[in-house]
Amino acid sequence: MTPAIRQPEPLGLVPGPFHDRIAALNRQQGWTGWMGHASPTVLDTVEFEYFAIRNGTTLFDISPMNKYRIAGPDAEAVVNRLVTRDIRKLKPGRVAYAIWCNAEGNVVDDGTVFRLAPNEFRLCCQEPQLGWLDDVAWGYDVTITDDSAAIAALAVQGPTSCAVLKAAGLAGVEELKPFDIRSFRVETHDIMVSRTGFTGDLGYELWMAPGAALGLWDRLMEAGRVRGIRAIGYAAVEMARIEAGFLLPRVDFLSSQTHLRPGRARNPYELGLDWLVALDKPHFNGRRALLALSRQRPARRLVTIEIDRDKPAHHAFVYHRKRREVGFVTSALWSPTVKRNIACAWIEAPWVQDGGDLWVEIYRQRELTWNRRMARARIVERRVFDSARRRATPPADF
Amino acid sequence: MSWDAIVVGAGHNGLVAAARLGQAGRRVLLLEALEGPGGLLGAPAAGQGAGSGGTGPGVRIAAQPTWLNPIVTMGLGLDRYGLGPGVAQPTRAWGPDGPVTLTAGSALGVAPETAAAYAALHARLRRLAGPLARFMGRTPPPLNGAGAGDLLALALDGLALRRLGRADMRELLRILLSNVWDLLEDSLGDGPLAGALAFDATLGGAMGPRSPGTVLPLLYRLAGAPRGADPEILIGALLKAVAATGGVLRCGAPVARILVGDNDRAEGVQLESGEEFRAPLVLSNLHPRRTLTGLLGVAHLDAEDVRRARLMATRGMAARIDLRLATLPEALPAGTRLVVAPRLGAVEAAFDGAKYGGLPERPVLEAVLVPGAVPRLAVTATFVPHAPAGSWTGKSRGTLETRVVAALDEALPGLRSEVTGIETMTPDDIEARYGLPGGHWHHGEFRTDQMLMLRPFARVARYRLPVAGLYLCGAGSHPGGDITGLPGWNAAGQALKDEGKRR
Repeated sequence: MTPAIRQPEPLGLVPGPFHDRIAALNRQQGWTGWMGHASPTVLDTVEFEYFAIRNGTTLFDISPMNKYRIAGPDAEAVVNRLVTRDIRKLKPGRVAYAIWCNAEGNVVDDGTVFRLAPNEFRLCCQEPQLGWLDDVAWGYDVTITDDSAAIAALAVQGPTSCAVLKAAGLAGVEELKPFDIRSFRVETHDIMVSRTGFTGDLGYELWMAPGAALGLWDRLMEAGRVRGIRAIGYAAVEMARIEAGFLLPRVDFLSSQTHLRPGRARNPYELGLDWLVALDKPHFNGRRALLALSRQRPARRLVTIEIDRDKPAHHAFVYHRKRREVGFVTSALWSPTVKRNIACAWIEAPWVQDGGDLWVEIYRQRELTWNRRMARARIVERRVFDSARRRATPPADF
Repeated sequence: MSWDAIVVGAGHNGLVAAARLGQAGRRVLLLEALEGPGGLLGAPAAGQGAGSGGTGPGVRIAAQPTWLNPIVTMGLGLDRYGLGPGVAQPTRAWGPDGPVTLTAGSALGVAPETAAAYAALHARLRRLAGPLARFMGRTPPPLNGAGAGDLLALALDGLALRRLGRADMRELLRILLSNVWDLLEDSLGDGPLAGALAFDATLGGAMGPRSPGTVLPLLYRLAGAPRGADPEILIGALLKAVAATGGVLRCGAPVARILVGDNDRAEGVQLESGEEFRAPLVLSNLHPRRTLTGLLGVAHLDAEDVRRARLMATRGMAARIDLRLATLPEALPAGTRLVVAPRLGAVEAAFDGAKYGGLPERPVLEAVLVPGAVPRLAVTATFVPHAPAGSWTGKSRGTLETRVVAALDEALPGLRSEVTGIETMTPDDIEARYGLPGGHWHHGEFRTDQMLMLRPFARVARYRLPVAGLYLCGAGSHPGGDITGLPGWNAAGQALKDEGKRR
């Protein structure tokens, strides 16, 4: 098994397959680096872009994501050895959200596993994983290919996204249930569509050859003109993902491959991802450690909290009875859709169970003067924005 | 037939482990792939080393008189089984200006001040090796999560180190990770004396005397016993010790895989013939890489452990060459070891060639006479690459043999004309015959990042493997390498301790 190595990239951020269109719309000229690609932060205003996710259709270039193809007679065994879920239950044409752990039971990364065929998988994730996959697959009959540069990907998310895709010529897309995959022929290109996303709303992700990217973009923009379509940047996606309760590596937790200090890695029980761990399947990476961890109470938990008033609790400490420091906030947002002040926070175990009398200290600057204020906080459900649109099949037409 | 424990591989560590388990009342089955026990110490197969189609009596890999660590000889009471007292073996270090004879702590044939310096160095290194010897006879401390017992043991080790005193402690820390060249040159100056010690410090591995970390193997070797017994006698005593405790040895029984139950516990082994044996305890004396990625199988292992097993340094660089002689060389008395490594630079130069895959122009070597109807000179030559320029050929074997004979002919003039036959076991041959990856007779390089709590690598350094009931008991584990019997002794002890906890 010889994994293909990506060719060295030029210095600096490189343009992605949709770059020409995004650059033309990027009035703010706001760019950030994402796996070496120029990715927009905000094109126009974050408010417009956020509300487009919840009320129209949005286009967000997710091509910089790492994409790996795992194929061969042992592909199922390798993926099942990699992730903590029982991947044998994943049928071809379906996608599963999954995490994978190191030998100590700490999370290496999370991502989505696409079962394209009985012996062919695609893994999409944030952190580069080729070396890790190579290690996990050693001794097995599979080929692992880094497809990151070979596949362009576009997230099409929002309540009118299904209608946009249909109007763009993807007839039958309304039949896709959440986590379904189907291929469509658009003009001369094959477009693979999965009903997946990072917004907690109705939405799809489109996968194609880079050569098909710009043509598809134009088609979608045309079809979306009367359906509120808008290209968006990362800032709006970040708001939506906090509402939807999705975790972000490097923000909410550190991959066991990226932390330096001991004790900074996190296990699935701390992250509240127990439901992803199938201890009853045969050996997989980290199983023995996870078995032991499953019998202990986690030392801390990542939870969603709701905070009084409307000031987002960025970088705040969490206190018990306003005195004892028991945790801290990783992501915070005043949710414009559900009108709740929410945050993602690490809280030490005893106070997760107790749950009462939690406070956050909110820091605010007004004209170069800092204020702080204690606000009451409660642990709430992880998914604060939970719309029936996410599940409805067929989705509403527009 | 059911067993309390199965030991895979009847090398000396396997025999020691089986005997210790037997002593504790366990019914032990010892399985050996080859036709006889002893591993590298065991009797060779006829024709072994004679090249393609050749015949000969065969080359015993560990032909030198050797001795187990006293913890093992006393623990198993091997004197009851005919081990005998052993004999001290002097070393004759050849040099162009005459030989130097070394016995424990004294050097003859050098200037008085050099002899005094050697005596002082030997005493100093023995003293510094003392605290190390404490670590050797038991499971190494854990890298994290130490229990009360571990902490107590560590505290006592700390105390032993403190007892060295400030000057010695500073000296130990100064030389521990340094290279043996600097130590020897500083203490003794260059010459056959320093050359012989540098040879001993680097024998069997893939590091030259200038490589960092080569002092530590020398300290390890000094912590052992300065005696030796014939390999046959040693193996014979161990076999008797196993048999006396009811252990059963089955040879010609290569194990294909270790059986693991649904409860993630070792359940026994399956032979290549398909035959199965069941036991709740399995100890493997095979090389860690073979045990993990071969017998156990990667499906039972986390990727990190597979990676470490695959990548552990295990490139052997020692070849064994037997010369059949018409007459005994007068210049080498029986029972004396000859070392041909006349200068520190000779050892390093031999390593330089092998480092890049070439045969050394002038191998450095040790040789002992093996008495018998046809006298033999048993030679260990280093640094011989595992596969020169890709693979061994008849030509490269011939080149190695010619160079070894040339080197010996200088030390024992006239030897060349007495040679009536040559048999050679290259590292590649040793790998093929004994199933040792890289042909490394220490089952893995003897260097700082593969010693103590990192031998053979993190997470399996305490003999216990991730699958419950399965243990490593070979030279790949702490304290590892050479002939000590300690890995087998410690592993059996750890297995018994864990079993006690489970009950």
